[in-house]
Amino acid sequence: MRIQVRRTGGFAGIERHAEVDTSGRSDASEWHALAEQAVAAGRSTPPVGVPDGFSYQLTVDGRTVYCADPRLTDEQRKLISRVLKEGA
Amino acid sequence: MTTHGGFEPVFCTIVPPHVLDRLAQAEDPALARPARRTLQRDAFERTQRRLTTVIGATAAAAVADGRPQRTVHDARHGTDLPGHKVRGEGDKPGKDATVNRAYAGLGATFELFLQAYRRDSIDGNGLPLNATVHYDRDYNNAFWNGEQMVFGDGDGEIFLDFTIPIDVIGHELAHGVTQYTANLTYFGQPGALNESLSDVFGALIKQYTLGQTAAEADWLIGAGLLAPRVTGTALRSMKEPGTAYDDDVLGKDPQPATMDDFVRTGRDNGGVHINSGIPNHAFHLAATALGGHAWERAGQVWYDVLTGGELRQDAMFTDFATLTVKAARERFGDGEELDAVSKGWEQVGVRTL
Repeated sequence: MRIQVRRTGGFAGIERHAEVDTSGRSDASEWHALAEQAVAAGRSTPPVGVPDGFSYQLTVDGRTVYCADPRLTDEQRKLISRVLKEGA
Repeated sequence: MTTHGGFEPVFCTIVPPHVLDRLAQAEDPALARPARRTLQRDAFERTQRRLTTVIGATAAAAVADGRPQRTVHDARHGTDLPGHKVRGEGDKPGKDATVNRAYAGLGATFELFLQAYRRDSIDGNGLPLNATVHYDRDYNNAFWNGEQMVFGDGDGEIFLDFTIPIDVIGHELAHGVTQYTANLTYFGQPGALNESLSDVFGALIKQYTLGQTAAEADWLIGAGLLAPRVTGTALRSMKEPGTAYDDDVLGKDPQPATMDDFVRTGRDNGGVHINSGIPNHAFHLAATALGGHAWERAGQVWYDVLTGGELRQDAMFTDFATLTVKAARERFGDGEELDAVSKGWEQVGVRTL
């Protein structure tokens, strides 16, 4: 599974992008469960966020959904922070 | 929701919003314009819903006595808002420097609006000021959620604590002022104006606090926020947009200074933090041409436009610029203020009508 996160906006307006390919990873099933929950709670179009809030684009195996701070589910928040931290 | 008399949906409910997003970026204005209008309307309605909630929730708590009513909360690295109350109005400073900075920044912002513009808090009616610090972990941002300010600690690698620059605190509160007044749609040009107004008043709060003239001010937004390893001085420069940073990790400051370099993008709500460089620079030019304390004349003109009731929610740069020229004439007559404001816009390539 290929999990991509793109973050735009924020006070600084600086974009960040990272992705994780779970194939061959020992924790792949954990990633899959997290990604599926995060995507299920996403929106099909970008929500207009709050001033200076981050906007996120989550793409999992080609399917893209959107979400924005501060209204993220716990799974979305966890997935985003893991991908931006551990992803390339 | 009540109806919006006279408004005719352009593509609403027929064309999916992601298509609108693509269309809004189209080269052909015939395609792009209606799509943008629809997206802006959508954004406006969301803001309206939020605004209604906020006004409804806070009207009872308003105390219009010309004194701030500050409360700082600590999210303790979680994301529940507002978090635990750690300092109320009149409480002595505690050991947490972040809490103390947020409290002081709220006070400084309140002071500028009251002393310079006779505005009692962000809603003009004594609205209590709330801030939450230590939001999430390593959180590289600060934002206004429609009701309060929220500050992250930064990750220490790229960003430090977001309460460090007082102009960042002022910037977030100014979003509150905009929400209660012109309520500019947070998308495209009106969104960039919304961002620019927050930078303008954020910068003015810093200058007011330091007692600086326009010539003495650094005109930087977020100075002191970048971690030592980052190559840059701040996040934005109103004096020289596009020069605040140039770093391996962060990239280069993307802000244009003039309309020639206006950036068309769907990201960042249509480039609200990018194209704000243009009106930011116009303000800097007007303020430095006038000299002295920028909040007294240039700031007064911008404040008059923001709160005057004529600035539409979907205002474009030209609409805003035209109103500043009108406001300069109304407040100061046919003098150097009018000249400085007109020339500021002319230099950044924004037409005034």
